[in-house]
Amino acid sequence: MKTGIFICHCGHNIKHTVDVKKLSEYFKTFPNVTVSQDYVFVCSEPGQDMIKDAIEKEGLDRVIIASCTPSLHGPMFKDVLRKSNLNPFLLRRVSIREHCAWVGNDVEANTEKAKRLILAGLYSSAHHVPLEEKIVDVKKSALVVGGGVSGLSAAIFLSKMGMQVHLVEKKSELGGHVRTLKGVWPAGRDGKSIVEDMVRELEGRENVEIFTSTTITNFEGFFGNYEVTLNTPQGEKKLTVGGAVLAIGFSPFDPSIKPELHYGKDERIITTLEFENNSNTLQLPEKPRVAILHCVGSRDEQIGKVYCSRVCCVNALRVGNALKDNYKDSYVESFYMDVRAHPKGGEEFFEDTQEKGVLFTRANVGEIVPTPTGVIIRGEDTLFGETFEREFDLVVLSIGMSSPEDCKLIANTFKIALDKDNFFMEAHIKLRPFDTAVKGIFIAGTCSGPKDVEESINHGRASAVKLFGLLNLGYTYVDPFISYVDPKRCSGCRMCEHACFSNAIKYDEEKRVVHVEEAACMGCGLCNATCPSSAISLRGYIDPMIDDEISGFTEAI
Amino acid sequence: MLTQASHKALVCIQCGKCTGSCPESGKTLFNIRMLVRKKQFQAVVEESLPWYCTSCGACTIRCPRDVKPSEIIIEMRSALIENGSVPLALQKALENTFVQKNPWGRSRNKRAAWTEKLDFEVPHISATESKRLLFVCCIQAYDPRCMVIPVNVAKILNKGGIEFGILGEEEACCGNEIRRVGEFGLFEELQEENIANFKEYGVKEIIALSPHCMNVLKKEYGDLGIKVSHYTELLAPMIKEGSIVPKGSYNKKVIYHDPCFLGKQNGVFDQPREILKSVEGLDFLEFSRSRENSMCCEGGGGRMFFEVETMYQRNAEVRAQEAVDKGAEVIATSCPFCVMTLEDPATEKGILVRELSEILTEVL
Repeated sequence: MKTGIFICHCGHNIKHTVDVKKLSEYFKTFPNVTVSQDYVFVCSEPGQDMIKDAIEKEGLDRVIIASCTPSLHGPMFKDVLRKSNLNPFLLRRVSIREHCAWVGNDVEANTEKAKRLILAGLYSSAHHVPLEEKIVDVKKSALVVGGGVSGLSAAIFLSKMGMQVHLVEKKSELGGHVRTLKGVWPAGRDGKSIVEDMVRELEGRENVEIFTSTTITNFEGFFGNYEVTLNTPQGEKKLTVGGAVLAIGFSPFDPSIKPELHYGKDERIITTLEFENNSNTLQLPEKPRVAILHCVGSRDEQIGKVYCSRVCCVNALRVGNALKDNYKDSYVESFYMDVRAHPKGGEEFFEDTQEKGVLFTRANVGEIVPTPTGVIIRGEDTLFGETFEREFDLVVLSIGMSSPEDCKLIANTFKIALDKDNFFMEAHIKLRPFDTAVKGIFIAGTCSGPKDVEESINHGRASAVKLFGLLNLGYTYVDPFISYVDPKRCSGCRMCEHACFSNAIKYDEEKRVVHVEEAACMGCGLCNATCPSSAISLRGYIDPMIDDEISGFTEAI
Repeated sequence: MLTQASHKALVCIQCGKCTGSCPESGKTLFNIRMLVRKKQFQAVVEESLPWYCTSCGACTIRCPRDVKPSEIIIEMRSALIENGSVPLALQKALENTFVQKNPWGRSRNKRAAWTEKLDFEVPHISATESKRLLFVCCIQAYDPRCMVIPVNVAKILNKGGIEFGILGEEEACCGNEIRRVGEFGLFEELQEENIANFKEYGVKEIIALSPHCMNVLKKEYGDLGIKVSHYTELLAPMIKEGSIVPKGSYNKKVIYHDPCFLGKQNGVFDQPREILKSVEGLDFLEFSRSRENSMCCEGGGGRMFFEVETMYQRNAEVRAQEAVDKGAEVIATSCPFCVMTLEDPATEKGILVRELSEILTEVL
């Protein structure tokens, strides 16, 4: 065996607290180590060339790079090996920066620890074997779940880019919440006409199949070849798709869980959504007194909703603005904690609403008391520092967005995570906001948190592009770290079958042993740990490798 | 238990939900939001202010940032007590509680005197099989107006075949009010004494007669593995199942006042209503502010023991007036504090205040 060890200074990062020279000298004495070198930046081009040269000249068959965490530069170092005609799985990364140099300032202790880490890597690298990454075909077809503005946008984009699209909507009609809105801020266009334009754009396309009144009963498989079972009005239907965009929207907050608001007990207390839909039929006096309450169902720890719903301030402004337009002599008072009119044009709209005569009182209303003559609002004007009790004819609650009612069901079906507020969790809130932890499953719109219509549409488009990028390649690499069964040792107890969450373990009734369906295995190792007969191993992570790695940490040196 | 981190003043956003919910803010100089603001900046607080709080809990229940303003008040009071800046009457009540384990200063060995009014013996908890303890409460053990409550409840339970015992003179004040006036040291002493007794006699279940006792035993004594409930929680199902049957009728219009410590702080809204509605002839009425939004009677938070500085219209008076306006003949409630605060204005306006057990006893 010919091993090359390359120890990185990472500029000052590692060198500052680890004696790298001492390490490279130390490992030179090992019989299987052909090259042991330290270098200022192993990841730099000269650094990469140094590795390539050593592989070619010395005929290395194992490469150990002691540097930063393995998740950084992993694919790049693998490529270095590939280019030198060495199987990339013969590479071993050892983290002496995050796990060592950055932890403490004691050079002697750090050097000692780094020595142990590298030694463990050296011992276990002896068990590395060349592995082949498999290439699997990807089905150029996408599932879009949810027919609101996000889902519609995603479907339109995917279809235009040439993907076969299956759009699934649980309700009988496409369009989601936007369809019910009389006017969508800022342009004020009717929500129904917005979604109907989108639906028309979609319906004319050959590569789009729309399922309404349809739910998803099963979703399994792996990226590129997911099997979907739908429950349609015509019966069960099965599809194969490469990936999916989930755009299942939100649920409007139900204010009846806050008893001090008396919502649902008095018809003079309504939500912004109800105002929007029924503003023509509201029975108001000539000079109506209307109170608008901000932040109902948002920014409230008592109901477990700490987040700001982002759209309700503008909704509240819309209500006040419309009232002033329709009832010149109305008294409209908006009770707010902060006015967050953040979208483009929002602050101007706020000013316009003030100019029209809507009064803004900084108060989170204490309680609402309905009486026969009017609805009394009790609160404190926090800027005057005085409490008040005022009577109104109508109270409009500006409700926030709650997670969609199906969030748990859909999250379970697609095996994706929910965040603390039960919205779908992004793979990374800044860097991968459309991705989930499952490859090929993207999220769009309000199902990952409150968004306005514009953001939801853009979110749908962005997810469509992300999914297109993956599917259009036409193939995917499958990690070679998959489990395999030694049928001679397998007792057929099937415990591994229960442990596996990707349905990769299949039981052979005749032979009474299990085998692994390679395409479905995700390489998590749960079956290995579960097997009482040690009959299952994970390729690239066999038991002796781990035993030897532990020896590297512990044996006397 | 009692830690400095029982509140989160720093995360307050000064929204005013607390002040808008507070039964004292507005009509007095007390502004709970302003006091939280002062706490954030460690600013000087005028000494009379923290004593207005009735510890009804509305601010803490509704605060959107879970700041727990009522806990901040307790901390402020505690600091005042350390400096000796205590209303005189309160100081007396604290001394009494220290010596006789009740704020009235009545002799400790008279604590079970109310049992003399019964025609049966109430056993000491140690002599019971069920180890079910009736926790009587200082007010109900000594106050001539409220002494009838334990007598009634004991009779009802006895009729319903429920075995129970008492601690008698060994029962110490529960400390709910003592903690709320900020006397943490004394509270801990009372708590230790009661817990030691619960343990010694193997108490398995506690039936509290006062919502204030129930609150502290349930939430602030730590996990004792003892089931704590208010007596109405026990009686309501018994009436439903038929083990207690109200026979007579009570032909009066009765309006029910939710005690803060029973209702909004512990969620017992339905049982007292079920009990009242089970009585034949009783015409049941509701206040405009009821259940979670019930208006505090201002008896809690130590306010039973001293007067605050500002003169203003009492909430009890507002309550009594609404009862009269709605045509009620009786205000029913289930808390000795509420009975005592409501009775004066109600009597003035010519209507009655009755604790639930009093109505129930009349019809059994």
